[in-house]
Amino acid sequence: MIIMSGALFFNLEEVGADVSKFHGFAEMDYGAKVSDDNTKRDNFNLLEQRLQLKTMYTFEGENYEPRGVHSHKPNVVYGYLAEKSSVLNFKGDFTVDEYFSGKTDFELRELNITLTPYRLMDAQFGRQIITWGTGDYLFVNDLFPKDYISFFIGRDDEYLKKPSDAMKLSFYPSPANVDFVVSPFEPNTIPEGDRLSFFDSFQGGIAGVNSDRDLLEPPLQLSNNEYALRIYRNFESNELAFYYFRGFDKNPTSYKDEAARQLFYPRLDVYGTSLRGPTSGGIGNIEFGYYNSREDSGGNNRLIANSLFKVLTGYEKDLGSDLKIGLQYLYEQTSDYGNYKANLLPTDFVFDESRHLLAQRITKLYKNQTIAVSLFNFYSPSNRDGYVRPTASYNISDQWKATLGANLPWGEDDLTEFGQMKRNKNVFFRARYSF
Amino acid sequence: MKIVKIFIISLTFLVVFGHKLVLAQGGLSAYDIITQSRLSFFYAGDDMKAKVLMELVNKNGQKRVRELTMLRKDYEEGGNQKYFMYFHQPADVKDTTFMVYKYPDKDDDRWLFIPAINLVKRIAANDKYSSFVGSDFTYEDVSGRKPEEDTHTLLRKDILDGKDCYVIESIPKSASEYTKRISWIDATDFLPLKEEFYDKQNEVYRRFEAQEIRGMNGVLTITKRVMKNTKTGHRSEATFEDVEYNLGIGDDIFSERYLRKAPVQWIK
Repeated sequence: MIIMSGALFFNLEEVGADVSKFHGFAEMDYGAKVSDDNTKRDNFNLLEQRLQLKTMYTFEGENYEPRGVHSHKPNVVYGYLAEKSSVLNFKGDFTVDEYFSGKTDFELRELNITLTPYRLMDAQFGRQIITWGTGDYLFVNDLFPKDYISFFIGRDDEYLKKPSDAMKLSFYPSPANVDFVVSPFEPNTIPEGDRLSFFDSFQGGIAGVNSDRDLLEPPLQLSNNEYALRIYRNFESNELAFYYFRGFDKNPTSYKDEAARQLFYPRLDVYGTSLRGPTSGGIGNIEFGYYNSREDSGGNNRLIANSLFKVLTGYEKDLGSDLKIGLQYLYEQTSDYGNYKANLLPTDFVFDESRHLLAQRITKLYKNQTIAVSLFNFYSPSNRDGYVRPTASYNISDQWKATLGANLPWGEDDLTEFGQMKRNKNVFFRARYSF
Repeated sequence: MKIVKIFIISLTFLVVFGHKLVLAQGGLSAYDIITQSRLSFFYAGDDMKAKVLMELVNKNGQKRVRELTMLRKDYEEGGNQKYFMYFHQPADVKDTTFMVYKYPDKDDDRWLFIPAINLVKRIAANDKYSSFVGSDFTYEDVSGRKPEEDTHTLLRKDILDGKDCYVIESIPKSASEYTKRISWIDATDFLPLKEEFYDKQNEVYRRFEAQEIRGMNGVLTITKRVMKNTKTGHRSEATFEDVEYNLGIGDDIFSERYLRKAPVQWIK
């Protein structure tokens, strides 16, 4: 699909089309480490330059005649795409990563074509970023891939979302809207020890470059495709949605072969629903999800993650004078916990049955909204851990923006979600020129 | 003595009914003028499309630009409206879309689409006095205020830039961003030519001026408007280009579908 979109994109020149202007930004990122661990570098965990280019091309015109010499007949494909209001999107990042000794890379973030084949239907093919659900940095029914390394080292929020190579079909009949997504498996990007330290059960604690886990992804085959469905509609000011996901856990939560330090991504189904709307002068949301661990639905296998129930509620209010607060509460409950505990071996690490997580966000804007100061704070009383994320950004001009922030995870234990990240504390700075 | 009594009675009469007397000449009360002005300014046509170029200038002359295409559809004269906005500039917000369902009697519904993460975010909307995209215009300045929220008094008739206008004082009935607003309203077409907003110290802190009015599709439109914060020296100039009315913009445009996939035929 990607290749097809690409071929189409680079063929435009041939059919005589003008690719509209490129936009994007150039950015320098630096994140100084303020705690010690066993990762590749001691002084920093972020130092890179980035050039993002994006463009879009709109297919237009009904009686299109190509200028090319190859054919004197109207270009049928182009004509169809123009008729169906098609748009081709491209976004890619060139990076120079000093963390890996100046390694250069190109990350294709979007290359897709969207079209409206029928009045009440849209289709989008190719690499794209897909997001849904009601949480703020917290996800229940959004099972699209995320990049938590980017998140914890202080890249822009944009990089928390990883692209999917997907076919997305959207339908808009009057009773409800439907999104249906098919894509091959793409895991979350999570700490692996070289850049960020984390809890590695094979090492018995927080590990860095000494970690040598083997993460086994499901083989690329049709039966391993992932499916995501969202059905949603508004009832006056309230938005109701139902979700279904069939695929794999995005994190390698389960053990394939302990001796070989192999972890894998178990099959997962998620059923969920959400409601969002105005509540006492702000916006309230509630979202449920039931994670059915299909390879261990009874919870008897100590090597495979159990099923899970998640509920997320949130409330956001504008207090005036460009001051906003947001509060969220996430509760996670492991199913069949008795079976899980009964099957553990004496040497196993024991994870809790439930988790309570509170999150607050306070954002205040100053000087005609050119300065934004924000504090995001996660706190889990049950895990006795948390993550403080202060940021301040200044739009010096329409082109230049400077951002200063910190990533401060903490925790009493080494194996909790944020506790395992506690040696990755950093203070980061980003300077961006947009064009 | 009798003369004094008559004089006092006459004076009382004038003070109490004076406004009514003055108004009776024009046949319109201050409330009627403000009501008509809101319709002329915010409800012109059944729908509207405009390209808006906004320049935000600070006291040092440093300039920022916001360029957006705005679509508006009215559902009831003086009642519910829907707005759709697509941002062309600046580069870091390009392709961002913003949608508002405006209800005069309750908080707006607002949605923001952030293309970088493909996220449709619901925006809390209870503060109508917050700045619109960092400009000196508030959300209320952009979409209007119900006449019932203030007590209006016709102060006088005046001539501004050669145009006859009514000068109206509006005092909010409940706590508001301003303590007093004085509006100069064109006596012919009811467009607001100038507005001054007063703070608690009874000093002007914001001043609105309609700098250019043109007939677009036969509808008189303020095509250049300026809001200046007289305390900070910051000002915002909004120029409306390519204004068109009564295009028959479909209801479906104002939906999550088009937030995520901007309607090319409308936003160009």
